[in-house]
Amino acid sequence: MKQAESILSLRDVEKTFAGHKAVDGVSLDIARGEVVAVIGPSGSGKSTMLRCINLLEVPDSGTISVDGKNLDTSGTVSARDLTQLRRRVGMVFQSFNLFPHMTVLRNISLPQERVLGRSREEADRRSMELLERVGLQQKADAYPAKCSGGQQQRVAIARALALDPEIMLFDEPTSALDPELGLEVLAVMRQLADTGMTMIVVTHEIHFAATVADRLIVMADGRILEQGPPQQVLDDPQHARTRTFLSAIKDR
Amino acid sequence: MKSAIFSDWAEWLPRLLDGLWVSVQVTGLSLIIGLVVGLLLALAAFARTRLLTWPAVLLVEIGRGMPALVMLQLVYFGLPSVGLTLETYAAVVLALSLTTAAYTSEIIRAGLRAVPDGELEAADALGMSRSDVMRFVVIPQGLRIALPTLLGFAILIFQISSLAFSLGLPELLSQAYSIGANTFRYLDVLTLAGLLYLAVTIPAGWLVARFERRLSRHLTT
Ligand SMILES: Nc1ncnc2c1ncn2[C@@H]1O[C@H](COP(=O)(O)OP(=O)(O)O)[C@@H](O)[C@H]1O
Ligand SMILES: [Mg+2]
Repeated sequence: MKQAESILSLRDVEKTFAGHKAVDGVSLDIARGEVVAVIGPSGSGKSTMLRCINLLEVPDSGTISVDGKNLDTSGTVSARDLTQLRRRVGMVFQSFNLFPHMTVLRNISLPQERVLGRSREEADRRSMELLERVGLQQKADAYPAKCSGGQQQRVAIARALALDPEIMLFDEPTSALDPELGLEVLAVMRQLADTGMTMIVVTHEIHFAATVADRLIVMADGRILEQGPPQQVLDDPQHARTRTFLSAIKDR
Repeated sequence: MKSAIFSDWAEWLPRLLDGLWVSVQVTGLSLIIGLVVGLLLALAAFARTRLLTWPAVLLVEIGRGMPALVMLQLVYFGLPSVGLTLETYAAVVLALSLTTAAYTSEIIRAGLRAVPDGELEAADALGMSRSDVMRFVVIPQGLRIALPTLLGFAILIFQISSLAFSLGLPELLSQAYSIGANTFRYLDVLTLAGLLYLAVTIPAGWLVARFERRLSRHLTT
């Protein structure tokens, strides 16, 4: 693909858990501003691949480079490199993972203060901007327990965006939500894609993948089974396994 | 008859209150020292710091496995044989601090571990440092989870402090015994001493329960 402009590259990334290859030699180039949707059966290594990108899991072999800066993951990664990487790569989890003992505003401001060294006022100002963007400024002083799942996930997105990342990773961001609450999260993600954010989204929301993603990747057994423009992959899948998987999720 | 008991109680009360004050002091000091050590042990265990592991495990196992009465006697009579003689007061505080550290380290460790892994991952993914994750995410929530159990333990160690009478520390129970020895009215004076213990532990128990309810407010999801 657009090799020269790729903001993120994985080369032959492998990760084994107890003898089982969760990610089995994945190579991937993602262009700046590209939105990539990842689908595949449960256990196919989607989460592990995402988690390797920001080194929540350290790959056993392979290289990862963000913005041309190579990370040799075979040795130990220095704490500085790790922080550098993580402030450029934001991540949103299926289970939101807000800090329940802090208000919504604190959840978003604290990482800015600790990781970017912003002052409290500066961080709060940025947090309020982002809360407005995700439509939740009225929840600033609420605790997460007083927010719906959809609201919590939007706060989690704002929290990640507050560090001004260049890439955003989403691991099944709507799977824990009722459909209508999922929609408000997807709307925020759609809007984020429109601003030109580079995004990798693991999802079972085929409609979202078809309408928002530039590329659709199908994973199976820790590998990329096939990939291409979403409509092409959805309408004319090359592999029998893709067809089986697609009809299984359409039946739900 | 009844009024005679009350006038005796009134006569004994000042000495017993002096004893109660000593009990409260040794309990308070042991809790402060024991909790600090307990927190450090819990953090070391949580971080799996190899360096601290075996002395920590030893202290926790001995502190929890040994009856408090034996611990008191060993510290008081045993340490002089290795060249360290402590006054009764210091020996009691040391022994109770060891017991407190052993128990509270386990209580705190369980609290720290109850903080959901997902939150630690989210903090990691945000680029927060190890120490920031501990300081802002794990410790505040872990201590909050552990607090009701810790307060319950504090009430328990206050009761356990009565064992210090065996070393002759002039705390509440010792005072009651010495009044009993002078008057041969053991039952009467022990009843009053028991009531004084209850006057502390029962309201403290209520406060703990109220506190527990207040703390759980934000954390119900
Ligand atoms: N921390 C882990 N320890 C052991 N096995 C794991 C771990 N994480 C994932 N796995 C295994 O790796 C495989 C891929 O998992 P995962 O990446 O979560 O798949 P997906 O997100 O596509 O459902 C699965 O077989 C899973 O059981
Ligand atoms: Mg997954």
